[in-house]
Amino acid sequence: MLKKLLKHEWKSVGKILLPINLGIILLTIIGCIILSTDTFETEESLPLALLLFLFYTLSIMTFSGVTIIYIYVHFYKNLFTVEGYLWHTLPVTRTQLFHSRLLIGSFWCSLNSFLTVLSAAALGFTAGFHAATEEKMDSLQSLLMDGSLSKSADGTTADFVFSDIFGYSPAIFIILLLLVLLTSCISSVLMGYLSTLLGQLVEKYRLAASIGFYMAIYMITQTITSLVMIAPNIHIILSSDDETSTYFISNFFGSMFPAAIISQIILIVIFYTSSLLLIRRQPNLE
Amino acid sequence: MTLIECKKLTKKYGNHTALSNISLQIESGHIIGLLGPNGSGKTTLIKLITGLLAPSSGSVYVNGQPVGPDSKSHISYLPDHSYLNGSMRVRDILNFFDDFYEDFDSMRAFDMLAKLQINPNHKLKTLSKGTQEKVQLILVMSRRANLYILDEPIAGVDPAARDYILNTILSNYDESASILISTHLISDIENILDEVIFIQNGTLHTHAGVDDLRQKENNSIDTIFREVFKC
Repeated sequence: MLKKLLKHEWKSVGKILLPINLGIILLTIIGCIILSTDTFETEESLPLALLLFLFYTLSIMTFSGVTIIYIYVHFYKNLFTVEGYLWHTLPVTRTQLFHSRLLIGSFWCSLNSFLTVLSAAALGFTAGFHAATEEKMDSLQSLLMDGSLSKSADGTTADFVFSDIFGYSPAIFIILLLLVLLTSCISSVLMGYLSTLLGQLVEKYRLAASIGFYMAIYMITQTITSLVMIAPNIHIILSSDDETSTYFISNFFGSMFPAAIISQIILIVIFYTSSLLLIRRQPNLE
Repeated sequence: MTLIECKKLTKKYGNHTALSNISLQIESGHIIGLLGPNGSGKTTLIKLITGLLAPSSGSVYVNGQPVGPDSKSHISYLPDHSYLNGSMRVRDILNFFDDFYEDFDSMRAFDMLAKLQINPNHKLKTLSKGTQEKVQLILVMSRRANLYILDEPIAGVDPAARDYILNTILSNYDESASILISTHLISDIENILDEVIFIQNGTLHTHAGVDDLRQKENNSIDTIFREVFKC
């Protein structure tokens, strides 16, 4: 039955979220085409460039916002409004209903985040490659391939080494970044579901209660995760020594990724377990 | 064979008691009218049986099992309002039911759609309210369920549509199955009922065979209802 639920959930959610994600891809392609031309070479084109940049940023933010809000609204509408009469009378368990929504919601949220990061990276690299002279092109390629940027012509002295700044080689950095995105997306989806389920415990104004629970959980988790990420570097932050700044950035990224991933996994476990306990309760569709 | 058994069923919404201490049994092979004025607790009782509400106390058993996925596979339920996603095509909704209910007869559903000249390629929201109600009824009556629960299936439709709906119900259910019809339009359904359940202010007032009740009171069910629930 879970397979059937996933199939119908995929079709239902895809109708809205597929066009949104195609929108990101389209926007990126158009952006890359514009950036690979000489449109913004003159000073007069600066206002247009700023306007387009603003349009791009707002569009991406809207796409991401609409995606996560749609996932929350879809969960609430499906299970706790009139549509719940259909889903809760199917011969399936409530945990199957929950898991089908969690899996599909997490997939679309993660896809949206990956595409957003890829879009920004694609635009950045397109602009970089277009602006680079032939000499700089070698350095850029070296940065992408080896994670180092050579200042001297023979390429023997490395002036910028990616791992010195970011604490990891480019490949590891990307993998960790993807893991951070994935865990953040799953925990975000679960946070919305848990808030909705907590709202159902209230006798009246359940939607308002769900929003209230969401805001409370959001503030608590943001405070805790910020502390978790800052705590390992607190001694460097308090130090005013300039020589430590590069070390700080390297150390910050080095500890931030593991701290972010671990804290998100802990949140996932807490949100998932709590949601599972609540979804097992019989609904009250009044 | 007992299809539904309610034991001391109570449902409270805050301080308000919608249903109080209801105990009853519904046997297979009967058409039962669940009758009562507005707000008497008919829909609450139905929602408890279908698992859409959690009882405050007491229990419900369907085919001897507590309410759950198994009981839901035996019940074909028509709510008193539209509950389907309007952006879905009629064909997709039929496929949806076919996927989840083993007892759903697609051929019968498409046949009923054709008889009513409803295009399965139309989106539900483009159909009139009456046609949407007919689609919902077709979905429910195309299942070979043990129990059909119909909440106000004839309220708000014209007399011609009412006849069609009652005909559809009568000609599409297995005689070993039971039908529980909630309504306050008693005169329209009186002739098809085997049993009646009167609910008054959330309590069970009467549960009896239609013929026995008529003989005892020497009146039609409609008249008895009007006397019992006189304002």
